[in-house]
Amino acid sequence: MDIKLKVRRQNPEADDKPFWKDYAVEVPEYYTLLDALLKVREEVDETLALRCSCRSHICGSCGMRVNGHAALACKTKLSDIDQGAVTVEPMGNMPVIRDLVVDLEPFWNKLYSIKPYLQPATDPPEREYVVPNDTMFHLDGVVNCIMCGACVSDCESLSVNPIFIGPTALAKEYRFVADPRDAADRERLTQMNGPGGVWDCTHCFQCVEVCPKDVAPMERIMAMRRMMMDMGMEQNNGAKRANAFMDLVGSYGRLDETRLLMRSVSGLGELMSFSKVGLRALWKGKLPPLRPHRIAGAPAVRRILERARNQRPRRFKVHQAQEEGVRA
Amino acid sequence: MPYEVVHQDVLVIGAGGAGLRAAVAAAETGVQVGVVTKSLLGKAHTVMAEGGVAAAFGHMDGQDTWQVHFQDTMKSGHFLNNAHMVELLTREAPDRVLELEGWGALFDRTETGEILQRAFGAHSFRRLAHVGDRTGKELIRTLQNRAVHQGVAVYPEIIITRLFRDARRIAGALGYRRADGRFILFRTPTVIVATGGWGRLYSVTSNSWETTGDGANLAFSVGAELVDMEMVQFHPTGMLWPPGVRGLLVTEGVRGEGGLLYNADHERFMTRYDPERMELSTRDVVARAISSEVAAGRGTPHGGAWLDISHRGAPFILRKLPGMRDQFLQLADVDITRQPMEIAPTVHYMMGGVRVDPDTCATAVVGLYAAGEVAAGVHGANRLGGNSLADLLVFGRRAGLAAAAEVRDDPQLSEIAETEVQLAIAEALAPLGRTAGANPYAIQADLRRTMSQYAGLIRTGTGLTQGLERVRALQRQAVSLQVTGGPAFNPGWNLALDLQAMLVLAEAIFVSAIERTESRGAHFREDFPREDPAWGRFNLITTRGGEGGLRVRREPVVGAEPAAARTERPATASSGGPGRPGGSGGSGGSGGSGGSKEADQT
Repeated sequence: MDIKLKVRRQNPEADDKPFWKDYAVEVPEYYTLLDALLKVREEVDETLALRCSCRSHICGSCGMRVNGHAALACKTKLSDIDQGAVTVEPMGNMPVIRDLVVDLEPFWNKLYSIKPYLQPATDPPEREYVVPNDTMFHLDGVVNCIMCGACVSDCESLSVNPIFIGPTALAKEYRFVADPRDAADRERLTQMNGPGGVWDCTHCFQCVEVCPKDVAPMERIMAMRRMMMDMGMEQNNGAKRANAFMDLVGSYGRLDETRLLMRSVSGLGELMSFSKVGLRALWKGKLPPLRPHRIAGAPAVRRILERARNQRPRRFKVHQAQEEGVRA
Repeated sequence: MPYEVVHQDVLVIGAGGAGLRAAVAAAETGVQVGVVTKSLLGKAHTVMAEGGVAAAFGHMDGQDTWQVHFQDTMKSGHFLNNAHMVELLTREAPDRVLELEGWGALFDRTETGEILQRAFGAHSFRRLAHVGDRTGKELIRTLQNRAVHQGVAVYPEIIITRLFRDARRIAGALGYRRADGRFILFRTPTVIVATGGWGRLYSVTSNSWETTGDGANLAFSVGAELVDMEMVQFHPTGMLWPPGVRGLLVTEGVRGEGGLLYNADHERFMTRYDPERMELSTRDVVARAISSEVAAGRGTPHGGAWLDISHRGAPFILRKLPGMRDQFLQLADVDITRQPMEIAPTVHYMMGGVRVDPDTCATAVVGLYAAGEVAAGVHGANRLGGNSLADLLVFGRRAGLAAAAEVRDDPQLSEIAETEVQLAIAEALAPLGRTAGANPYAIQADLRRTMSQYAGLIRTGTGLTQGLERVRALQRQAVSLQVTGGPAFNPGWNLALDLQAMLVLAEAIFVSAIERTESRGAHFREDFPREDPAWGRFNLITTRGGEGGLRVRREPVVGAEPAAARTERPATASSGGPGRPGGSGGSGGSGGSGGSKEADQT
């Protein structure tokens, strides 16, 4: 089949300005985008720079934006996407070194800042740690991360908030927080409770969408938020908003956006900063009613919420089990 | 030309499993360690290891001991293995695995919470600790995190082009940054080469893009010796279709978990080749069996065999082989929970490589160590599945400890003449300066075809001679390679430098394969189809001869048996104790007769 690749390139040895270059190549049906790019490199333009290594979506080197979204080139089959014109760009939220190669140093620095290693309470036991199987299974998905950077590339929050530590690092943080052998969960969560931490996620689902390994970083972020609130870390806008949300829905059976805002912010000053938004909403006739309206089935909604609250997965920590064992 | 200078006590080249394990071991003793890698951290070929790490815990089968593991390994290696290395490997592997677990690695567990072990080809017992089918990824991730924890300095995307030494010892390494082409000189009294294999010499390989053998060539160029270079492992089950993914690994774990091999006539053909072990025979046997079936006209549509695991049911497959399922679904439109996989042999592993001292991984050059796939000795003529991950943990650690000890005993840094550095920089830059010359991509394609055609699964004397001539012709062309563009992230330039290593190692494979006039393990000669006991007593050592050519010589196999085996079987050869290889050589070999007790369980 004939395909047209529209590749965004950039050369630091020339003027370093991005430019588009089209490549028309004939490739077999089964080709992946990586196959096609390598064909271009070997037969058309040997200077086209990209990273790749394993060809089987396990090393995570060939992350790039394909038709606007981050993906692994080796996992993108050309027959699955529109072949009319495939746009290929370097990943987002990272500086470009050359063509499709981005500078991952900020990515690594954020990843290493979370102390991505086990911090047990005591020296490891002589044999393996013995833990219930079901307390480990849930880590299976999150250890799948291949550190390709796709989630960071497409993170909406990072694009406007560079101090956000980002989905890769947070998924990794969860991997240790939720590991029964790690004893530093409280310190880890306390650190992630501050600026740049879990509350900076805007819940846009991009990281879940683009992750080639189904790590679902956003779900890990949400899980850590719940753990923090369970530990009593509630003095921040995010936790206050979550509490207010549950409270209001529990009371009225629906959301009351006015009160949600009032209860989420800290102090009048911050509330006033929303006045412009409020005025615009009023002008457009979109201001929520000032007096809440209780729906008929509110008690039933409350019962649903309570049942959901009680269905949290069991948390198990080796060091806590040991302490309890000693006390018993 | 200016360059940056960095000092390290221990410089590790390569950030795969062996390199990271070496770095961690050295750093734990308190010396300064740097790891330089030509790709990014965590992307090395180790990440692709699937099935597991062999360690005789005996969790599943209580009779398993390191001695049985030793015997399995020696037998599978057709007794070309260095027995002392095999003893170290099998004795120490369980501790190395537990250590990883202590650092945070996840392993699949038994019902009672012990590390679960799976069956694998030619292991007498269920022996491979694993996490689904992504053991290598978990291993490298754990080591990477541990290295960060230990304060190891990581230098990503730097390609080392030259090692320096003086008359006494290693002095440093020169490399350039991929990002901008700037040169960097590492001044260090010790270097550990852990760059993996050279599977990319072949057109069909399971190996990642980066496995071009740079480290083996670097070590060889300063005086280290190569051993058993003719021993190239073909993994029986590589993906076959579509061609874009041809060669990608299908883990032996599929057969370990009950996968069955069929030919086009739906016949379990392994009954003809190894009726006892069937699918779980050694890799050399299964690979040749598949090739024989295809040659006899019983191959699948694209010229391979069928591998079927669907009878184990979807829930089991999704839990134990999720990566395989994903790989086939994504890349081949095959759902392995319902359909068989079409497979064929693929170049997978180099048993041969840099010759090292068993205890310390020291090479013939003082200050230079090698560990992991780049080193040789432990796997003999055919590697057992799962022994590679064990190898890189056991010998990575040993290399790291030995290098750190050497630095403490003798921190004196050797000199490097400035003219030598400038010369090395000029040589590296040469392909960028030429206006005409050979194209590296064309030479690489030719080389890979040549290797697959003449140094493949089935070899002949005439074919090998033709292949060698072709490689030498390519070497002459590669003297004046030419690439377009500048030094900043220039893939053509990187390849031009990779080719220097690839062409040397290709030649070494041919000269060794021509010399070994028998068939043994992975090395099969149609003109000498039988194993010759006389040849079983020798390893082949490759060195540089006069006028740039390579020279091959025989040396007796180091045939010591382990201490415990000695108590069972008193008549043995002497131990291959510490010392540098390449001097007096090993003791006389009883290798051909060692530990061949037939295990009764598969």
